[in-house]
Amino acid sequence: MSPPQASARLAMPVVPSDPDVRDPQLVPGQKAVIRNVDFFYDTFRALKNISLPLHDKRVTAFIGPSGCGKSTLLRILNRIYELYPGQRATGEVLVDGENILAPGLDLNLLRAKIGMVFQKPTPFPMSIYDNIAFGIRLYERLTRPELDDRIEAALRRAALWDEVKDKLRQSGLGLSGGQQQRLCIARAVAVELEILLLDEPASALDPLSTQRIEELIAELKDDYCIAIVTHNMQQAARSSDYTAFMYLGELIEFDETERIFTHPTQKQTEDYITGRFG
Amino acid sequence: MAADIALVGRSAAQRGRASSIGDVVFRALTFLFALLVLLILGGVIVALVEGALPALGTFGVAFLFSDVWNPVTEQFGALAPIYGTLVTSAIAMLVGIPVAFGVAVFITEICPIWLKRPLATMIELLAAIPSIIYGIWGLFVFAPFVQQYIQPNLIDSLGQIPGFGALFAGPPLGIGVLTAGFILAIMVLPFISSIMRDVFETVPAILKESAYGLGATRSEVVRQIVLPYTRIGVVGGIMLGLGRALGETMAVTFVIGNAHRISVSILQPGTTISASLANEFTEAVGDLYLSSLIALGFILFVITFIVLAMAKLMLLRLQQRAGG
Amino acid sequence: MSIYTRRRIANGVVMSLSVAATAFGLLWLVLVLWTLLENGIAAITPALFSQMTPPPGSAGGLLNAIFGSVVMTLIATLVGTPTGILAGTFLAEYSRGSRFGEVVRFINDILLSAPSIIVGLFVYELMVVRMGHFSAWAGSMALAIIVIPVVVRTTEDMLNLVPNALREAAAALGSPKWKVIVMVSYRAAIQGMVTGVMLAVARIAGETAPLLFTALNNQFWSTNLDAPMANLPVVIFQFAMSPYADWQVLAWGGALLITLTVLCLNIGARALASWSTFKQ
Repeated sequence: MSPPQASARLAMPVVPSDPDVRDPQLVPGQKAVIRNVDFFYDTFRALKNISLPLHDKRVTAFIGPSGCGKSTLLRILNRIYELYPGQRATGEVLVDGENILAPGLDLNLLRAKIGMVFQKPTPFPMSIYDNIAFGIRLYERLTRPELDDRIEAALRRAALWDEVKDKLRQSGLGLSGGQQQRLCIARAVAVELEILLLDEPASALDPLSTQRIEELIAELKDDYCIAIVTHNMQQAARSSDYTAFMYLGELIEFDETERIFTHPTQKQTEDYITGRFG
Repeated sequence: MAADIALVGRSAAQRGRASSIGDVVFRALTFLFALLVLLILGGVIVALVEGALPALGTFGVAFLFSDVWNPVTEQFGALAPIYGTLVTSAIAMLVGIPVAFGVAVFITEICPIWLKRPLATMIELLAAIPSIIYGIWGLFVFAPFVQQYIQPNLIDSLGQIPGFGALFAGPPLGIGVLTAGFILAIMVLPFISSIMRDVFETVPAILKESAYGLGATRSEVVRQIVLPYTRIGVVGGIMLGLGRALGETMAVTFVIGNAHRISVSILQPGTTISASLANEFTEAVGDLYLSSLIALGFILFVITFIVLAMAKLMLLRLQQRAGG
Repeated sequence: MSIYTRRRIANGVVMSLSVAATAFGLLWLVLVLWTLLENGIAAITPALFSQMTPPPGSAGGLLNAIFGSVVMTLIATLVGTPTGILAGTFLAEYSRGSRFGEVVRFINDILLSAPSIIVGLFVYELMVVRMGHFSAWAGSMALAIIVIPVVVRTTEDMLNLVPNALREAAAALGSPKWKVIVMVSYRAAIQGMVTGVMLAVARIAGETAPLLFTALNNQFWSTNLDAPMANLPVVIFQFAMSPYADWQVLAWGGALLITLTVLCLNIGARALASWSTFKQ
């Protein structure tokens, strides 16, 4: 895997999706490819044969009714499910050509490159400064001024710097809900990320904070491959480039967002988007 | 190779390997200390058996049924201490359970919200007071009080009933089995009450509300809804209290009178296993004497282990039911 | 009398009995504390803290006993706390549903309520017999064995309260499991864990039985951990059971000291616990 090149920050043309979604190959512009993935909670098959690409520098949204498996799928991408016995995934997930579901892979190194922000803000019980520094300190040895710079950069990316620059030593728990979530985003982007996973990042927040988070995502996509799970269809329509609609553990349809929301090819997709269920 | 995702140079991969070593070491460390807990219990059993073997070997099963305790002739029997342990604990339960129940009902059902926490804390402070404090309080304050006011009345009233009155016979000494049992009750009631409170709180509010909605009185809700629902937990709490009462040492030692004999009257002095140990262990001369005392300890251990294990199992059952 | 009236009377009786029971329980608390204060305050003089335990019939203090208690409590806490924390960590973080974990938890809870005199017997067999003499080390170990189950229980309970989302967030940054536990879980649970340690210390501060056949007692000033060491509870035991008036006064004084310490620790621990939940 190569770190993102500054020169590649030009706007890349939207790569048309493969007509045959069942077995996509890695093509230029695709950061990751999910191929024939099943997921099991013990013997229960929660995901059935999922295949789709994740494009670099683009936002891919996952929508669907509760229990359709979108969060489960997201959590495969950084193998966070490995924390719990009885949960396992089969199939392949290629990130830059390497299968991250391979056994023997160092999960900690994987997760250092694939960041995740959760539904509920999860600030660590330490100062704002230490919250951001936590991830950095795991893998890099920086001098104090370098660390300060990285933390400021991360907080600026998350649009939080102005609000907390005078209270970096205060506990992260003292911030408001929206601020805490931006703190979590800053914490995630402080390290050298390549893929950012967002699991309903704004669902626990008020509308104003939600809006700010969405603006943030629009800015962040210039640098990362972003996958976002959301139950808010309007949010998906607004913020994403690609959308995947899932239902009962299956991928029903995957396409450019505009096409999914204006001309869905599957009836189920259309029913969901028009609010007939879910 | 593919499995080795390079990051910012080699240091990260090295960090990765170092941290998995950290994981292995830390996990092993915590496992070791968890194992230690088991080893402690194992050690206790082994040590007690080892120490008790000479006495048990000499006296055999008769040790449990003999009430002779003669250091001079080296004849020892556990019956008097066992009897005293059981009787004092029984008294403690008889007095303690109803009071604990009353306290639990008060705190969960009657008490105003602002009073709950402070009141619960105060009752729990009863449990926090060390045993020896109850001991000297019992010896200097309570026993004389009992001797002067309570025991004469008991002897004159209940002691006159034919048959049953034998329980209250004898001169009023102040110290004795009844006094010890009563102090045990005070010491044990906060434990029982606290567990009762916890299990009472697990009753779903809607269950109680349905009963109130039908016009049931508070006492009816408690007796017919709360108690049956929490029955297992209540029994578990009672057994926990019993386990404590059986093993209590210092408070009992001060007021039981330390007489190795069995009397029908609970006004008389007696001894318990722990009181015998506390009083005689450091003075014991001779291996058989020492071993007999350790054998007593072993018997106590077995009794309390069984009671506590049953208590734990019952509380686990209730937890499973409540937690789903 | 109608059924309804009878029910009302029954309710009134049960409720009154509950109030009476609570008053009864509180009464004893007040009585014990009051007489303790009454009898012990006379002994609280500077001499109590500066002089050694005297032979019968002379004046003196409890300095060597206080010192011994403090030292042995300290050692027991230093030994028992990390042990308990690590064992509790295993139960909370590594033993999800495992048989071994269930067994350890079960045994731990039994040790928690086991008679402390049995612990004294155990350490006697283990250390005093093998070493050939009583010692403060043995006393400290006996107290440590009482500390461990308390700390294991509270550590496990507090760590279980830490939300999984927090652990996932740390793991999602690539943190190895042990760092997740030490740098995130422990920090989140620290207040509860400190409360547990305080309660454990309060518990051993007043324990007599385990010291009876391990540290024994020492009439004189001693800092030798390898020899019998004076301690408050055993001194109180000896002095209170004696017929000498000045010994008995000292016993009350020592009892008051212990009780004040224990109550402060208990109330302090509860205040800390409710303050931390209030903060969240």
